[in-house]
Amino acid sequence: MTSSPTQALAVAARAVAASKIYGSGDTEVRALDAIDVDFEQGRFTAIMGPSGSGKSTLMHCMAGLDNVTSGQVIIGDTDLTTLSEKDLTLLRRDNVGFVFQAYNLVPTLNAIENITLPMDLAGDKGDRAWIDEVVGATGLADRVKHRPNELSGGQQQRVAVARALASRPQIIFADEPTGNVDSNTAGEILGFMRGAVDEMGQTIVMVTHDPVAASYADRVVFLVDGKIVDELADPTPQTIRDHMTRLGA
Amino acid sequence: MFKLALRSLIDKKLRFALTTLVVVIGVMFVVGSFTLTDSLPEDIAQGADLTVRVDQSLGGDFERATVPEAVADQVAGVEGVDRVQPELAALNVFIVDGNGEPIRPPGPPALGFSFNPGTFFIIEGRQPTAPGEFAADAVTAANNDLRVGETYDINGPLDAEPFELVGLFNFGSPDSHTGLGQTMAAFELEEAQRFLGMEDGYQAVSILVSAGAEVSDVQARLEAELGGNYRVITQEVDAAEQEEDFNQVVDIFNTVLLVFAFIAVFVSAFIINNTFQIIVGQRVREIGLWRAIGATPRQVSRSVITESAIVGALSTVIGIGLGLVLALVLRAILEVIGFPLPPGPLTLRPRTVVLATVVGLGVTMVSSIAPAMKARRISPVAALSHDFQLGATGLRRRLITGGAVFAAGVVALAAGMTAGLDTTPTFALLGVGAVLAFVGMNIVSPVFARPAASALGRPVTALFGVPGRLGRDNASRNPRRTASTAGALLIGLALMGLAAVVGESIKKTFDNIMENAVEADYFIQASATGFGPPPGIPARVADDIEALGEISSVMRIRWAFSGLSVDGEPRDIVAADLALADSHFDSQVSSGDMAAGDPLTSLALHSDSAESLGVGVGDTVEATFPDNQTEVLTVAAIFEDAAIYGNWLIDGALWDRHFNRNDLAFASARIAGLSDAASESEQASLLERSRAAVNDVIDRYPTVKVENQAEFRQTQESQLTAFIRVIQTLIGLSFFIALIGIINTLSLSVYERIHEIGLLRSVGMTRRQLRRSIYWEALIVAVFGGLLGVVVGTVFGVATALALPESFVQAVAVPWLDLVVFVVISAVAGLLAAILPAVRAGRMNILDAIAHE
Repeated sequence: MTSSPTQALAVAARAVAASKIYGSGDTEVRALDAIDVDFEQGRFTAIMGPSGSGKSTLMHCMAGLDNVTSGQVIIGDTDLTTLSEKDLTLLRRDNVGFVFQAYNLVPTLNAIENITLPMDLAGDKGDRAWIDEVVGATGLADRVKHRPNELSGGQQQRVAVARALASRPQIIFADEPTGNVDSNTAGEILGFMRGAVDEMGQTIVMVTHDPVAASYADRVVFLVDGKIVDELADPTPQTIRDHMTRLGA
Repeated sequence: MFKLALRSLIDKKLRFALTTLVVVIGVMFVVGSFTLTDSLPEDIAQGADLTVRVDQSLGGDFERATVPEAVADQVAGVEGVDRVQPELAALNVFIVDGNGEPIRPPGPPALGFSFNPGTFFIIEGRQPTAPGEFAADAVTAANNDLRVGETYDINGPLDAEPFELVGLFNFGSPDSHTGLGQTMAAFELEEAQRFLGMEDGYQAVSILVSAGAEVSDVQARLEAELGGNYRVITQEVDAAEQEEDFNQVVDIFNTVLLVFAFIAVFVSAFIINNTFQIIVGQRVREIGLWRAIGATPRQVSRSVITESAIVGALSTVIGIGLGLVLALVLRAILEVIGFPLPPGPLTLRPRTVVLATVVGLGVTMVSSIAPAMKARRISPVAALSHDFQLGATGLRRRLITGGAVFAAGVVALAAGMTAGLDTTPTFALLGVGAVLAFVGMNIVSPVFARPAASALGRPVTALFGVPGRLGRDNASRNPRRTASTAGALLIGLALMGLAAVVGESIKKTFDNIMENAVEADYFIQASATGFGPPPGIPARVADDIEALGEISSVMRIRWAFSGLSVDGEPRDIVAADLALADSHFDSQVSSGDMAAGDPLTSLALHSDSAESLGVGVGDTVEATFPDNQTEVLTVAAIFEDAAIYGNWLIDGALWDRHFNRNDLAFASARIAGLSDAASESEQASLLERSRAAVNDVIDRYPTVKVENQAEFRQTQESQLTAFIRVIQTLIGLSFFIALIGIINTLSLSVYERIHEIGLLRSVGMTRRQLRRSIYWEALIVAVFGGLLGVVVGTVFGVATALALPESFVQAVAVPWLDLVVFVVISAVAGLLAAILPAVRAGRMNILDAIAHE
C-alpha cells in the first residue's frame, strides 16, 4: 500500500470540473458533479462505483462519446469540449481505443480486419510490425482470418483489446470488458490488458464493478453520486472490497 | 432507454407507413381504372326509333356497305313508318381553320356527316341546304374561332374543297353539345353523298314510327320486307352499340391501367413478403419469449397474419379513397389529351370494392403466410440465445423448387406466344407464365445473390475502403433479403428490358425493310397521327400526283382489320394496285405474279397463309366482304415478306367494290426516269424537280405530307421510339414501388445493425463514412437487381421477338446502350432509396446505439 509518485507521470487524459446534468428543475439529475480527475500515461486505472454512480457516464464523456454539460475534458493536449462532431470522431479514431462489454466486433469482418478497422477507416496502413506484435500478444496469430462468430467470447474480447491497441492510441477505455464472460476468461482478458500496460506502455481506463477485475489496475477511483469519493493505489480484491464496504456501496 | 424505445416505435411507424403505401398504390390503380369505366353514362339513347343498316360482320363502322337509295324508298313505304332520315358519316374529314391549319382532335376522330335534324340542333345560323355549305359543331367552332359566314377548306376522303360555314349545332341535345372531342362537319344530304363519296346510297336510314304504331311491330315488318342482308335495330341497341364503340377507346386506357395495377400489386407482394420476413427475423427473441411463456405456434403465426391484415385493411381503405381521386385525375388527363368523358358522378360499384379488398387485403395476407409459417417454427430457446438464426431454406432446395417454378413459367410463356396473340386465354397464359417465371427467379436468386453481391462489391471494396467493404458485406450478408429487394427492381427492369428488345427488333425489322424491300421514292401520308382511328388522306392527292410528269407511278394503299372472311375466319386485309405492288415494295414473290391476273378477281397471299389454306398459285379462294358479298378469287402470287402487305393483299378496284371507305391509308410514288438517270447530277435534278412538283400538290392538302425514304424512315423510327419510351415510362412506375421496397429493407437492415453501427462510430467511423457504407450497400443491391432484370428482360425480349408474327418482327436486336442505361437508372434508384435510411443511421446517438441489442 505504497503511494505511487503520480505527479511524476505525464497525464494522458484529464477532466476539469466536469459536470453532466440530465433534465432541469425538479427532475435534474447530476450524473457527474464537477469532477476533477487525471489519468496518467502508462497506467491502468479502474473506475468503480455502484449502479447510477456515474462511472459509465464519466467514461463516455472522457472518451468523447458524450458531451459534458460544463467543465473540460482533455485528451493529450486537446480540449474535447471545443471539438465538432466530426473532429471528435477523428479523435476517437486516431487517439482513443475502446473495449465494450460485448459485441465489440463487426460480424462481417474477420479478426485481423476488425483489429485494423480504425486504421482502415482513416485510410492508413498502420504500423505493420506493431500490429504483428499486438496480434502476437493476443495469442491468436493463427486465427486472424476467423470471423467473430468462429471465436470464443474470450478470444473475441482479446481481439477487441488488440483493436484498441493497434493504432497506438493515447488512451484506451474499457467498459466492463469482462462483464459477459466467465472468471477464467476474464482473467485471460485482464492479463492481456495488464500486459499491454506493462510491456507496451499503454494507458487503460476501465469501468468495472468487479473487485477482482479492478485489482488488475494500478489505481482504483471510486465514484458515488457523480463525485469521486475515494481512490486506492495498487489494489487487491480485498482492499477494494474493504473500501466499497466503507463507502456503503 | 425510453428514447430508444421511442425511436424503435418511430422506426416501426415508418415501416408500417411504407408497407401500407406499397399496397395502396396497387389498390389505387385497380379502383381508379374500374371506377373510370363504371362512371361512364349508361347509355345515350336518343334520336330515331329504329335504324336500318347493312348487316355487317366484317370491317369497321366506317367501312360498312351502304343502304341503296331504292331500299330507303322501300323502307318509307312500310306500314307504321312515319318519317325516314338517311344518314351518312365518314372518317377523316378535317376542317381547315382560318390560319390554314387542319383542326385535328388528338385522339377522337374528325368526322363528316349528312346533316340530321333529329340529332343535330342548330344554335346559330341555319342548317346546310345547298352544295358548298356546311355546319360545324359549336364546340369545335368555338375552340378554333370558326365563324358563320366565312368559307373554310375541308379535307374529305376524296378531295379538299372550300365550304361556307352556314350554321353551328349542338349534337345530341338542343341545350348542350354531347360530343366527346370529335370534330363534326355536316353537309346537306346529297352534298354529303358527293363529298364523302357515297353517291349510291346511305350508311344508315333512321326511322320515326307513326303515332300509335308499336315500334316492335314496325321492326318486324321492316325485317320481313328487307330480308337478311339488313339489320333493323332499336334505339336502345343503337345506343348500346355506340356506347360500346366509345368504350373501346376507354377500354384501351383501362387495360393499360389494369396492367399497371397488376405490376404494382405483384411488386408489392415481393416487398410485403420481404418486410414480414425481416420483421419476424427481428423479433426472433421476442417470439421465443412468447413461446417460452406459453404461446402456441398457432398464436404466433396468427399474430403475424393479424399484423398483415391490419396493413392490408388500412391499405384497402386508403387505396379505395385514392383510387376515386385517381379516377378524377385520369378524367382530367383524358380531357387534356383530347378525350373528354361525359361528366357525371363517380360510380364505385360493389364489384370494385370486392376487387380492391382482394388485391389489398388478400395480397398482403397471402404474402405474409410464408413468414408467418417461419415464425411458427421459432423455438422457445430462441429467447435465450443471442445468435439464433431463422432456418433458411437450403440453397439446393431453392435451386430445385425455383428452377421448377421458373421452368413452368417459361413453358407457359412459350405456349402463350406460339398460340397467337389475340385471344384472352393466350393473354392469361402469358400472364401466368410471367408471374411463375418471376416467382421462380425470386426463389432461385438468393443462391447467386451472395456471390453476385460480393463480385459486384469487389471493385467497390478495392477503391472505396472500409465503407465500400462494409456496404458489400452487408449486401451479401443476407442473400435472401438482397435477392428479394432486388426482385422488386427486377420485375420493372425485366419488363422495360423486354419492351426495349422487342422495340429494337421492330426497328431493326423496319430498317431491313427500308433497305431491302422499299423501291418507292415518296411516301404520301397523313401529316399527323394520334391515338385515334387510322388516319387517312384524300384519294384525290394520289390522282394529282399521278398526273405529274415527274412521277411515273403512284400506288394507293388501304387496309382494314377483319376486312375479309375466308373459311369463316376474319382476315386483316391490305388493298393496293396489284400491277404496281411489286415495283413499289419488294415483298419477295416466290411464285406467281401479282400483276398477271384480273385485279378484280385476284388475290396475293403470304406463304404462311397459303400454306395454312393449302393453296398455291392458280387455286381459288372464296372470300366474303363487309357488304356480305362473296367472291371467288384466284391466287395470283405468293410472297414471303409480310412487312408491307401483311398476309392478304387485294387490288384497290376490288376494295372499291366492297368497301364503303374512300380515303387512302397511304400512297407511294416513284420518280419517272430515276433509274435510267445517266449521272448523279441528273439524278439530283430529278429528285429536286419531282419533290418540288409533289410539294406543290401537297400544299393544297394541309392534312397530307410527303416524305422521301430517309425522312420516312426517320419519322417512323422516332414514332416507334416515342411509343416504346411511353411504355417504359409507364412500367417505370414499378420503380417507384421498388424504391419504397429498398427504403424499407435498408431501414430494417440498418435497424438490425444499430449496435454494430454504434461500435463503428465509436471506433472512429465518421457519419459520412457510415452513410457511404449504406449507399454502397444500396447500390450493390440495386445493381444486382438491375442486372438480373436486364438479363431476364433480354431473354424474354428475344423470345418474344422470335415468337411474334413475321409481319411484325423479322429481326432480333438488343439495344445494349438502353440496357446499360436501365442498370444505371436502377443504381440511381437504389441510391435515392438509401438517402433516408443513411441519414437516419448517421444521426443515431452512439451511446444509444451501443446499448442497443
